[in-house]
Amino acid sequence: MRNLILEKIAVLYLRAILIVSVWLLLRGHNEPGGGFIAGIIASTGFILYAIVYGSTAVEKLLRYNTRNWIGSGLLIILIAVVLPIIWGKPAMSSIWMTLPDSISAYVHIGTPLLFDIGVYVSVIGIILSIIITIMDVLKWNS
Amino acid sequence: MILLAHILLPFTYILLALLIKKASIKSRLAVLFATFNLLWALALLPIVQIKDIIVVQVGGWAAPYGISLVADRFSVFMLIMTAIIFFLVTIYATQSVDKARRKSGHFFFTFGILMGVNGSFIAGDVFNLYVWYEVMLMSSFILMSLGGERAQMEGSIKYLILNLISALFFVSGVGLLYGNLGTLNMADLSAIISEKSDMLTHLNPALILMVVSFAIKGALVPFFFWLPASYHTPPPAVSALLAGLLTKVGIYSLIRFYTLFLYHDAPFWNQLILWMGVLSMVIGVFAASSQFDFRKILSFHIISQVGYVVIGLGFYTVSGIAAAMFFLAHNMLSKTNAFLVAGWVKRQKGTLNLKTLGEVYKESPIWGVLFFISAFSLAGLPPLSGFIGKYLIIKAGIEANYIVVALIALFVGLFTLFSMVKIWLEVFWKDVPKDRVVKIPQKKRKSQYMLTSSLIMAILIVVMGLWAQPIVTYCEQAAVDLLNPELYIDKVLNFSR
Repeated sequence: MRNLILEKIAVLYLRAILIVSVWLLLRGHNEPGGGFIAGIIASTGFILYAIVYGSTAVEKLLRYNTRNWIGSGLLIILIAVVLPIIWGKPAMSSIWMTLPDSISAYVHIGTPLLFDIGVYVSVIGIILSIIITIMDVLKWNS
Repeated sequence: MILLAHILLPFTYILLALLIKKASIKSRLAVLFATFNLLWALALLPIVQIKDIIVVQVGGWAAPYGISLVADRFSVFMLIMTAIIFFLVTIYATQSVDKARRKSGHFFFTFGILMGVNGSFIAGDVFNLYVWYEVMLMSSFILMSLGGERAQMEGSIKYLILNLISALFFVSGVGLLYGNLGTLNMADLSAIISEKSDMLTHLNPALILMVVSFAIKGALVPFFFWLPASYHTPPPAVSALLAGLLTKVGIYSLIRFYTLFLYHDAPFWNQLILWMGVLSMVIGVFAASSQFDFRKILSFHIISQVGYVVIGLGFYTVSGIAAAMFFLAHNMLSKTNAFLVAGWVKRQKGTLNLKTLGEVYKESPIWGVLFFISAFSLAGLPPLSGFIGKYLIIKAGIEANYIVVALIALFVGLFTLFSMVKIWLEVFWKDVPKDRVVKIPQKKRKSQYMLTSSLIMAILIVVMGLWAQPIVTYCEQAAVDLLNPELYIDKVLNFSR
């Protein structure tokens, strides 16, 4: 049975929660937040979407396979780890871009942020791959 | 970076395996990355000879606060042995493991194990060691249950539960240690403990928890139950890898802990470790001689062989620890190769029950010879590596005035020979029993890669026996380093780039 209100709420919730998660991701380095939390919060939106529309719909929404999401998240992490070597620093050191004050008051851009983005992407991939597998096993495709 | 590559290489393979779908490309990439890992480990050898101890402070944070990766001669030795074993088992697995398993991530999880093993060999921090243990445990558990056969599930549940208990002990030990001393960096811990020698009994609860967890990992008596209950269930390539690498990590950590912390309280620990080793040696070998499954006999022998390494540590002399290291390396090679041969027999005959097997030698003399080399190396017959290993251990024991222990080691060798002769006679020599012929379709299955990897391993065993001198010299240098923890502490804490 379709439930129009629930479907609309799921879409709106997904949009809102994605914005919140990106905000959490960006404030993560100095304040509460970060890639892991943001990834979990973003995946709640996708989970609600999957419950309402079924797991095939959420796979379509994600564009790429969840395995690829995990893999590309790990790839971003690897780049963030190896990147400082180009500047002649030990691996995993943090390198920050110098930005005009008007931007850096809000966002710092550097390898820790890149690392967090990698965590964010792979956490979304891992949680959704778990949920989609469970939904497929339970044949939960509304 | 030089040390970090040992973690980043398996990591890179893992992410590539997630992005790539085709099973054949995954297998090829696995062999490629295993080769890189081997080359990188060999490249560390000249560096460690110059620098004595390689230290990397991750992210540029200085020692007691940041994450230190430390490799001394012992670590590099273990890294090289791990890389050799992993490389050969990967080649073997490309043919031995079935396509369904390879597609659903066999190599993915073997590289998880490699990452955990490499990581624990270079961890300079107790908590990091714990994290690498977890990486290793999770990937080995999944690898063990991958495929979902009934026997596999049974084995892996026992494996998982007992190893989780070991992890629980370890992490509670870590907590107590941190609560007492406020640091977890191994060099820092060792320095603090050597300053406050009156605190030692205060620390014993934490250290005992950790040593028990290493003993569970390393399958020492009385904590060995999980090993023979689980190692005979997964596919042979998996059990070869686990037998070759996992217990050795527990023993490595025990040696590292003993030479950094426990030796301060030698009257308490020395006898404990020594007799734990003796009991493992004796009980393992007796339990093995009552078994009738190829891989179960070999699994029980792991316990017995690990005992040899631990008594070498218990002697606590340069020659004792050098002998323990040599024996560890010999055991990794010979044991893994014995498991590889078992895998081939299983592939051909479909069973590993000694009572139903027979005449394998007639079918394939070369595999017979390969088994002969590894089994009689385990038993310690002359020109093979096991002879040198046992000789060094017993010599070190006599020199350190542990005559009884040395005699027990000699006596256990006899029983090892008995079980190996038993496998040899039952599997390779005797006629196939008339009344219990198991009918298996005699398909000709290719096994050239399996043969290659097992052959290389057998050659390495012989080479290690014939040209033991350089290896023993290296082990002695490493043992001297281990017995002088001041060097380790100094290099890690006063690190400058």
